[in-house]
Amino acid sequence: MPRPGQLGGKALLLAALVATACAPRNDAANGVLVVEESQQASSFIRNFNPLLEVGDVRWPTLHAMYEPLLIYNPLGGKYVPWLAEHHEWADGGHVLRFQVRAGVRWSDGTPFGAADVVFTFELLRKFPALDTRAIWQYLDAVTSPDPTTVEFKLKRVYSPALFYVSQLPIVPAHVWKDVADPVTFTNESPVATGPFTEVISFEPQAYQVGPNPYYWQGKPAIKAVRCMALPANDQSIISLLRNDLDWAGSFVPAVERIYVGEDPEHHHYWSPPIDGTVLLYPNNTRKPLDDVRVRKAISMAIDRDLMVKVAMYGYTRPADATALSDAYNNYRYQPAVDAGTWVLHDVAGAERLLDEAGLRRGAGGLRRMPDGAPLHFDIGVPVGWSDWIRATQVIVRSLRGIGVDARVQAIDFDAWFDSLQQGTYDMALGWTEVNPSPYGLYRHLMSTETLHPVGEAAAENWHRFGLPAADKLLAQVELATSFEQEKPLIDQLQMLFVENAPAIPLFPGPLWGEYSSRDFVGFPDADNPYAPLSPHWHPQSLLVLTKVKPR
Amino acid sequence: MSYLLRRIGFYAVAAWASITLAFIIPRMMPGDPATAMLVRFKGKLKPEAIDALREAFGFTKAPLLEQYWQYLTHVVRGDLGVSVNYFPETVSGVIGGALGWTMVLAGVSVVISFLIGSLLGVLAAWRRGSWLDTTVSPVLIFLGAYPYFWLATVALFVFGFTLDWFPLRHAYADNLPPGILRFLGSAITHAVMPATTLVIATIGGWMLGMRNTMINVLGEDYVTLAHAKGLPSRRVMFRYAARNALLPNVTGFGMALGFVLSGSLLTEIVFSYPGTGYLLVAAVRSRDYALIQGLFLTITVAVLAANLLVDMIYVWLDPRARRSS
Repeated sequence: MPRPGQLGGKALLLAALVATACAPRNDAANGVLVVEESQQASSFIRNFNPLLEVGDVRWPTLHAMYEPLLIYNPLGGKYVPWLAEHHEWADGGHVLRFQVRAGVRWSDGTPFGAADVVFTFELLRKFPALDTRAIWQYLDAVTSPDPTTVEFKLKRVYSPALFYVSQLPIVPAHVWKDVADPVTFTNESPVATGPFTEVISFEPQAYQVGPNPYYWQGKPAIKAVRCMALPANDQSIISLLRNDLDWAGSFVPAVERIYVGEDPEHHHYWSPPIDGTVLLYPNNTRKPLDDVRVRKAISMAIDRDLMVKVAMYGYTRPADATALSDAYNNYRYQPAVDAGTWVLHDVAGAERLLDEAGLRRGAGGLRRMPDGAPLHFDIGVPVGWSDWIRATQVIVRSLRGIGVDARVQAIDFDAWFDSLQQGTYDMALGWTEVNPSPYGLYRHLMSTETLHPVGEAAAENWHRFGLPAADKLLAQVELATSFEQEKPLIDQLQMLFVENAPAIPLFPGPLWGEYSSRDFVGFPDADNPYAPLSPHWHPQSLLVLTKVKPR
Repeated sequence: MSYLLRRIGFYAVAAWASITLAFIIPRMMPGDPATAMLVRFKGKLKPEAIDALREAFGFTKAPLLEQYWQYLTHVVRGDLGVSVNYFPETVSGVIGGALGWTMVLAGVSVVISFLIGSLLGVLAAWRRGSWLDTTVSPVLIFLGAYPYFWLATVALFVFGFTLDWFPLRHAYADNLPPGILRFLGSAITHAVMPATTLVIATIGGWMLGMRNTMINVLGEDYVTLAHAKGLPSRRVMFRYAARNALLPNVTGFGMALGFVLSGSLLTEIVFSYPGTGYLLVAAVRSRDYALIQGLFLTITVAVLAANLLVDMIYVWLDPRARRSS
């Protein structure tokens, strides 16, 4: 799966051609917001099933139609009350209680209530294929003691439950109770609580959804939201330049010149580094990468300033040693950042550490293993991901500088991902996830529970590193139901990560977003950072859709 | 007649072989579809859900032979399974939506390209050394030698983006008022650029092939005899020379027609055209076995059907084929 924005080569060629042209035009009728679909496609299937995230669902389903109890906002790291006005932990963390909002109606006029929430979770229990986050693994029962309260009883205290439970889109019981198989249900005429619920037109190459007449925040000012089929990044860029797209989340090379320069008054972009941090994963089961000194030396050899400039066009910053992106700013522990000197460019220090580890320079200035065997690393990266490939080239050059022989290994995406999961690689570039708490990140990076032997597919912990001390802290985080309880534990996890350097943070990923203010105002940006700008994050896009207005 | 019967028998065996290959080849690719699914969700899916989804998507861990048998019986019934990419849409539904557009766009382009190219080839050979032969032919070959992607992108940029003569994307305007004529008009305007680039990229080959065989044929005794007997030159050119020279090109035409369904993927990507070529790329990328199989099968049937058509044209063009039984 290509990330939007990764097919850089072609995009660059096209963008270079396009940069010389101009002819702004807007096809869409007034008041119609044209949004980039989340799927790159040449035609669309009419499917608005919000529980079928693994299926091919249309963009509005999760971004504009169905709403969750709360919306987690990575900018500021807070939960925004949505269908629930209030939430609390009770019974020592065994019960998670939500007060649902009064006065919310489904788009057919039926009142929304706690029973709908209970129904939705029961649906997940009955159909495990819909429970993609395995919520029922720790959930014991969902009940509604009164029409505005929902109680989630947990099998054990597990604080990450709040995120997964609160982000689930809620479906109407009165409609879905008659659906025979919700796994293959395509929900062609959706009934939902969100701002845009009415399918005005649906053609295989474009469709339009109109406002929900009963929306609880008042009828939206935008007349309709329109999406069209764009099979590749080039088409997104061309559409942005022609003002055929009002809101997109694609990587645009040299965005200042190509997009903003075209119409500085109306064309805007914002790419805060709040996506997951990109890491260089060393395979901890392979010598000499099992030696913390070697891992730190490799990290110290890398010139991250150069990498950010060359590989990322300066759209992000060098990572610090905690591996936390800007989405976790409220968790960042300064002593851990200060202790992580091994992310600073220090060639002499790197050489010293490698000498200490017994990897001495041999003939030709290249370092060898302590037993004299040649030392060589292949660094895996998916072919076509031009920014990552350039980053890897910087790493390779840096490593050569300290006498370590390395090579860029650009391979097919599936082969690359397979080697990560199976643990059959030397080193590889890879992403990390963004959740409300760094719990998931450090579980992926240091837990023995996510650790699988080489040859067995591991969904997480690709570098294969586990630390019992981390397990203990992670277990305590699961019990912590407030930020104040959680923070000191996350601090310790950060210290643990910085000490052991199980993987090498490179830079936090920028979250891309572009918008045109010709016809609409109210998009988030650096001056008004109320939500991420990307239309590809759900349910966060609801925050944007309820703020944006026609000019 | 028995010539055609033998050909049909041959095609039946070929169809079985390709149906089997469509089953085997995707399974020889590295990685498995469940992993591919994991990839799409960046590891967000939990193992419990994956097991349940495997079932919903129809992945089985049954022995290959059993899967093969099930596949064969389903194919016979016309049930190609469920697409992972477009879940819960069926493979037949996905292909059905795209097939028409590709067949019309690429099919018409191939036919136009073949007809015009062959005609130009005949004329170029007939008037050797004329401007048609010395200028048009090399220019067309030159254009055809360009990487198609580049050619299409430049066309999109110049005629779509800068000059705004043709629409930038899609097969028809989706916000049209109802009316079959309006729809057709819109579909034709949308097809002009992709079809033209397809024709430009391929016409040189037809022309050159036709011209070269034609020159050979023109040296044959029967052409000289026809001239000597005083037949009108148009008749000699078309009925005697071109008819014989056409045979190798017709074989190529059959191949091109068959590969219409798979060959136009770059067109479809550049011009956002909703056809099967793009489907195939996306399906291979995400290990959508069922969709890959379905597309392979469709392409195979198309290639075989086109070849059968060519065989029939052969019988009509070449009396020797009729008598060879």
